[in-house]
Amino acid sequence: MDDRLLLIIAGSIAGICSGLAAVALRLALESVTEWLHPFRHFWWAFLLPAVGALLSTVYLEKITREGAGHGVPEVIYAVSKHGGLLRLRSSYSRLISSFLTIGSGGSAGPEAPVVMSGSAIGSNIAKLLWLNDRQRTTLVGCGTAGAIAGIFNAPLAGLVFAIEVVLGKWEFSNIIPIAIAAVAGAEVSRAIIHEQVLFNHLPFNMGTADILPGICLALFAGLISVFFTKTLNTSGKFAKKNRFPFWMRAIIGGSVVGCIGLFFPVVLGEGYHFIQSMISGTFTMGIFLTFVAVFAKIFATAITLGWGGSGGIFAPCLLIGSLTGIVFHKIVFLLFDNAACASEGAYALLGMTGLISGVMQAPLTGIFLVLEITGGYETILPLIVVSAISSTMSHYIEPASFYFKELIRKGQFLRPGTDARILSDLNIRELVSTEFTTVSENMIFREFIKILKTSDQFFFPVIDENTGAYKGMIEIRNIRRHVLNPGIYDMVFLNQIMDTDILTASLENDLHDVLEMMETNNMESIPVVEHDTFIGMISKTRILDLYRRELIMQTSVR
Amino acid sequence: MNYKLLQIFRNTPFGRETFLQSLYFCKTIHAHPVVYIPESDKFLMYFPNDAIQIDLDSSYLTSPETAKQHACDLFGEMGFKPAFFAPRSFTASTLPDIPTNFDYFCCPRSVSDLSSKIGLGHIGPKVRRIIKQAPFPVLLTSLVFKPWKSIAVFFGGSTNARKALQMGLRIAMVSKLPMDIYTLREKKSQGYYENIIKESDLTAPVSQFLRNWHYYEKSESDAMLYDVPHDALIVLGAYGHGVIKDLLFGSKMEKIQSTVTNNLLITGPQCELSLIH
Repeated sequence: MDDRLLLIIAGSIAGICSGLAAVALRLALESVTEWLHPFRHFWWAFLLPAVGALLSTVYLEKITREGAGHGVPEVIYAVSKHGGLLRLRSSYSRLISSFLTIGSGGSAGPEAPVVMSGSAIGSNIAKLLWLNDRQRTTLVGCGTAGAIAGIFNAPLAGLVFAIEVVLGKWEFSNIIPIAIAAVAGAEVSRAIIHEQVLFNHLPFNMGTADILPGICLALFAGLISVFFTKTLNTSGKFAKKNRFPFWMRAIIGGSVVGCIGLFFPVVLGEGYHFIQSMISGTFTMGIFLTFVAVFAKIFATAITLGWGGSGGIFAPCLLIGSLTGIVFHKIVFLLFDNAACASEGAYALLGMTGLISGVMQAPLTGIFLVLEITGGYETILPLIVVSAISSTMSHYIEPASFYFKELIRKGQFLRPGTDARILSDLNIRELVSTEFTTVSENMIFREFIKILKTSDQFFFPVIDENTGAYKGMIEIRNIRRHVLNPGIYDMVFLNQIMDTDILTASLENDLHDVLEMMETNNMESIPVVEHDTFIGMISKTRILDLYRRELIMQTSVR
Repeated sequence: MNYKLLQIFRNTPFGRETFLQSLYFCKTIHAHPVVYIPESDKFLMYFPNDAIQIDLDSSYLTSPETAKQHACDLFGEMGFKPAFFAPRSFTASTLPDIPTNFDYFCCPRSVSDLSSKIGLGHIGPKVRRIIKQAPFPVLLTSLVFKPWKSIAVFFGGSTNARKALQMGLRIAMVSKLPMDIYTLREKKSQGYYENIIKESDLTAPVSQFLRNWHYYEKSESDAMLYDVPHDALIVLGAYGHGVIKDLLFGSKMEKIQSTVTNNLLITGPQCELSLIH
């Protein structure tokens, strides 16, 4: 079957399945939130998130045996390093764990779990069809797009998120199947859930007068984004350092979130209801409490995700962004009571875009998501301004987004077509040239000269003739003076003139390590030695040849 | 030759037997054993078309403080320099990635169930998946350390069986041990099997290293298994048939492994090897 047609068909299936997963989680969360609502007024309600987090972490650790986390970095890691290979269990595990966490009141969003689920569905469809890495990666993007499109009923945002954040490469062959998958996911969502727009559309009259406040809000949102990202990372690290067992961590984290929720119910769950009230201008909290609520939500999310809960940061970003927008609007009107600014709801939208763009450093996703989920296309100009400034500022202070930071730190963030990715795809074994004549350490120099006359090698590995062990290297340029002095031909053995301090590489080394070794020591070639045995040489010329081959393969038009 | 065998170390008496077996295997074929001492109860192996999560049974984490020393002692006992593998990549903080670029992989018949359950007749689902996806042969060890003195290749003419034969020849070449071929004839003449060898350009090495070629009728499979020397390394292909045939008739390899106590070296459908590696 034609490659594109195959990807379109398989991508549609991935989109439909991801959409179904997204809808299932959304409906399940709505039901459990409604069911638990009457219990929220009891004093012991703070324990509900603890119970949810406990069940969630036990489920992930002991039943599906997956590491906790919200999943998007894992999808990016799979795309970067393993051609999009994801486990089958990932297609359902995060759905259940995030349902337990968020349904009980944990501060997290359902979007990242459905992204994980959708991506794993796409990956496993590719596995079933024995597709190659490129095709599998496209189907991972299809699953991602279908999931985001399904949960938000936002096909454009799904397409943009899949390409901007997960795949990192706009490629014609990717865009069509992913767009179709996004539409399929959204259509499934529309067919099942009748109330379509997540947040009701209201007319927002934003004009030129809002550009300047918009810029200020973007800077404010950028700062909040950086703070949010740093708090998330710090919370996770702190949780890993303490000695509590994983279930105890979940109970403590959940209880803390529950306590915060007693005073600020806005932090509990995904918070869509509060976002709706902020957009529609019915959010009644005062300026000080709203400001505190921004940080309460940041801490609650960091604790939920860092201490064993499962979920994503999409919905928290939307909520924190809305709160930020509201706070900013209130401050503007406090300072300038005649300011000709748009409504609070409009600034909540701008805040949402600012936070999404700042935390994820994905400006297009921020713009399209907010546009689609609110239907407020008249705000597009300020949205672009806020998104661009917030993501730029956030990038300036914190160069890596929340999703990429850990991967960059570990050197595992390898975008397609980049040097790092191409080099990582080169197999160190195929870089080793093994056609080398070896010489014995006890060989007399005259014998070596005879070999030299018929050889075009520049390096001669010297080995122990009894054990075959590598002893050193003779580099022609280093023995030139001996070659030009026939008087010593019968007086010198090779072990007297060989270099024994030449650095060696091993097949275990990454190409990155090998290159660094060569670069630091100004080497053109490096011997590869394994278990004292000379394997061959890696030369810069050979690396360049294979680099070019790999580059052509990865960038050729398919 | 610089073949490497990966061994997941289990710090128990049963794990010791498995490890001794793989050390003996390495010594015989001049390969280098590399040990991974697990620090968490799971790890991931990324194959070209599958990501397999191995959930180890709890015995793999027994007495971690003595594991390395025990492994070193066993390395020393067999004359090897200890070599340990430390994961560099992690899919999640407690989920290390184990590379799949080794030449051999050694494991018991099951890695996820408690050792008390392991016996003949049971092959773990993870081991099955590894064999199906692995580009390397998998050494399934006998329950106790048992040095082998010859090589028995089960050859039925399929593509996987050809790989097994190549594998057997490779081991015979480096170990200088005699090699026997066992063929269960399925309504085909001896010439048919010999012709396959000829078409695969294996006539010369087979005639050089073959001690005996034993033919059996299809109904004599039990007799054939009994005739295989108890101290032979059995080399055979696995899962070469389609899913439907496997579902209907089961896997021959699984039947064999449930009957014989020998060490098995299994080449799966994705196994890539050549006579001269």
